[in-house]
Amino acid sequence: MVEANKEMKEGISAWAKFYRKGTGYLAFAFHRLSGLVILFYLYLHYTVLSNLLRGQATYNAIVKSITYGPYDSFLALDFLLALVIFYHGANGVRLALNEFGIGMYHHKALFFTFEIIAMILLGLFDYYALQFVGVGF
Amino acid sequence: MTDEYEFEIKRKDESGKVYYSTYKVPKDKISTVLEGLLYIKENIDQSLSFRYSCRMEICGSCGMEIDGKPRMACSTIVEDLKKDRIRIEPLKHYKVIRDLVVDIDPFFEKYREVKPYIIRDDDGKYDKELPQTPEQFHEYANFAMCIKCGLCMAACPIEGSDPQYLGPAPLAAAWRYIADNRDKGAKYRVEVVDGEEGTSRCHFAGECTEVCPKGVDPSFAIQKLRRTALKIELASIFGGR
Repeated sequence: MVEANKEMKEGISAWAKFYRKGTGYLAFAFHRLSGLVILFYLYLHYTVLSNLLRGQATYNAIVKSITYGPYDSFLALDFLLALVIFYHGANGVRLALNEFGIGMYHHKALFFTFEIIAMILLGLFDYYALQFVGVGF
Repeated sequence: MTDEYEFEIKRKDESGKVYYSTYKVPKDKISTVLEGLLYIKENIDQSLSFRYSCRMEICGSCGMEIDGKPRMACSTIVEDLKKDRIRIEPLKHYKVIRDLVVDIDPFFEKYREVKPYIIRDDDGKYDKELPQTPEQFHEYANFAMCIKCGLCMAACPIEGSDPQYLGPAPLAAAWRYIADNRDKGAKYRVEVVDGEEGTSRCHFAGECTEVCPKGVDPSFAIQKLRRTALKIELASIFGGR
């Protein structure tokens, strides 16, 4: 393998440069950023679950504080999480299809189609989630 | 609107410190960015360095970052940029030799890795012409248009975060030969392109295709390569050709 010029490495900050970039690039950049958010949440989730090691009462107290207060404002972050999961999942399916050679000639149209479907599903998810926590319309 | 363009050019002094030189170029004297650079070189600052040759988007020499996007200086019409202040920088992901001149050797080394030539299984000992229908020709014609300017390598975000990645132009070249019905070297190329720094590093941002001045579609080629590599890998596991 060629010894590449490492001094030219831009690093991950290059992902966030959107000036003069196309739709595919925006899809790529948000896919990566949403992936990082999901990864962060995964470890946060493990951290909360690890409280089970400290006993049932401790774990239940933490879950109750997050769900009913005083830290229930964290629930708002669940909506952000749902947003990135729906985005990431829809774009992931599009990428998988493209990699198998399906829809390559129409990958931009496919991106918008999948994302619109994902956002409709997100809206439904948010509606039922709010119903579940008792917020009426 | 004024009657002059301002060319803001990224340069480096002897100590390696980056600075921008600004030059005023009359609008009625130039049409393309390359003409603007030549005007500066001839009339304002002879020390400015940039690479060019054919002036007609064939040699692939004058690639540079123009207004935040990799473009050929010879085919970029200044008026099309719709601004009077034009920022010009050397191509990203390459080592800068001087001003706008970059070292493209690592790009060509990667290019060579994919064996960009026809590989035959008869050692070239064929006694009649190798026929090719127009349909077979069009399978690879788009990818044969590559002028090796390296703009796609500068536009690719993966090249920026992983310099070992083979990159769009070498991978498109691999597909150009694999798609050629005269070529029998797919299995050799797949060994290279299906490696850790090959097609699996592409995340389909598609910027390579966006910036290509010749309309080549490397991101398409990479997806085709993936499928071909998968077929060859599966065939090697389950038998068959």
